[in-house]
Amino acid sequence: MQAIRAEHLSKSFDGRQVLRDVTFSVEKGEIFGYLGPNGAGKTTTINLFLGLLSPETGTAEVFGADLGSDDEARRRVGVLFENNGFSERQSAYENLRYYAGLYGMDEPEGRIEELLRVIGLSDRSSDAVGTFSTGMKRKLGIARAILHRPDVVFLDEPSSGLDPDAQRMVRDLILSLSEKEGMTVFINSHHLDEVQRICSRVAILAEGKIQAYDSVARLAGAGKESSVWIAFEGGRPSRQTIASLESLSMVLDIQEEGEGIVCRLAEEGSVPDLISALVSGGYRIEEIKKRSADLEEVYLRYVHSVEGRS
Amino acid sequence: MNERLVIARKEFLQAITNKGVLIASFIFAVWFPVFTTLGILAGTGGDPGTALGGHLANLSVVLALFMGYLFSSDAFFREKKDGTILTLLCAPVSIRQIWEGKVLGVSAAAYGMTIISILITVIVAFVLSSVAITLPWLLLLHVIVILPVYAAASAGIIGSAQLYLGMRENQLLGMGFVFLFIFLIFGLQGLVSPEGGVTIQTEVFFAVFGIVLLALGRRWAGRLSKERIVRTIT
Repeated sequence: MQAIRAEHLSKSFDGRQVLRDVTFSVEKGEIFGYLGPNGAGKTTTINLFLGLLSPETGTAEVFGADLGSDDEARRRVGVLFENNGFSERQSAYENLRYYAGLYGMDEPEGRIEELLRVIGLSDRSSDAVGTFSTGMKRKLGIARAILHRPDVVFLDEPSSGLDPDAQRMVRDLILSLSEKEGMTVFINSHHLDEVQRICSRVAILAEGKIQAYDSVARLAGAGKESSVWIAFEGGRPSRQTIASLESLSMVLDIQEEGEGIVCRLAEEGSVPDLISALVSGGYRIEEIKKRSADLEEVYLRYVHSVEGRS
Repeated sequence: MNERLVIARKEFLQAITNKGVLIASFIFAVWFPVFTTLGILAGTGGDPGTALGGHLANLSVVLALFMGYLFSSDAFFREKKDGTILTLLCAPVSIRQIWEGKVLGVSAAAYGMTIISILITVIVAFVLSSVAITLPWLLLLHVIVILPVYAAASAGIIGSAQLYLGMRENQLLGMGFVFLFIFLIFGLQGLVSPEGGVTIQTEVFFAVFGIVLLALGRRWAGRLSKERIVRTIT
């Protein structure tokens, strides 16, 4: 079942096209990563889903509803913006109590205490939010977003300002929201490592268009066997060695990396051919590794290719 | 609890814990009433108690307007400036409900400060000149019914304007409102006869004008779009 759906979504501001024909969907219970450089249109997309902006063309729906016009449908949605949405003079508890009231929660005290415990702020619950650090506010913001147990939660840079411990806590929390509560999580993030660890699928947005939209495993594995890292006995290979390796038919190009080289191959299945060619050529291999492209490489490849075209 | 009351409660608590606004409002609540009351006492030819009653009725309306403006800054302008309004717009409440809740909370605080101001005026008049302000039932009605309407009307129109306008326009609006307040406070002194008391005609005028202002603010809020609010944040 689709929880979030964008179809042919376009939006421009003052004649500047920000989104162009964006189409994707997020399944119920999925953790979805929405990636892109600054100004790519990520926040605009979230604002369109949340009904804060109206699409020029196309539709942006959450569980089939237009959140801009359907007040009741917004009860099913939680959101965390860059600003955490708190009154700085009120305490953490009072702030959460306020949002519980807005979402019509009956007797929310237990839920508030549970969330404050999970994010490690129980002992600061009666302190004014203005006295909190950036990370503490962020954690409290996440607690606020999921306070009313929404079916879908939109998180804009959830780990921003968090230390590594808190980042792990947030990652675990997001994973448990999806696994235990069946919550759909839409993450807008620059933390590609974090996205790779917790998201099942991602969309990469650049220049207002979706450049890639697939599972993290497929995107990150797209170039998995097409390159290998090789270290030779005796240290870094000479220019002459590199030039002669480049002349091999299965090698597209070679780049130096660390104490070895990275060979990009013409075909995925040509690693054994390369090894036998190296051995028969008299090269003494000390170490060879298949390169597993991570999400960061894939992301940069897509974003740079768009920048190159424009 | 009704969502409007949830918002109103929060805004009221915000307003009465904002030290900057409290200090500014208290200065206005003391300075202008005392200043103008002394002027009335010096210039009146008739019954000073009746003159002060009339003066108090007019002055308190201007004060309620100003307090409404002053206390609304946290509820509308600051929430828009720091982006907190975005989270609120995503809650299951309409823009009009948000506006109504905010106006209710802000006007309760503004009305409270206006009442403090009236009490100070009465005490100052009594201490400095032993004049007891005549307090007819009409003046009581004015304090209980008319003033909250003006506090709400002011907070409401300013609130709608702050949601509608961009940040720079809002700063100009703020300065404009302060000048309007100063004009009103001194203009009223010249326009209203010091001998004139509180009359049914003036009260009906105040009531109708105040309700019209409040209705205009509410109508404006109802016509605001989320896109307009979001796009005028930065």
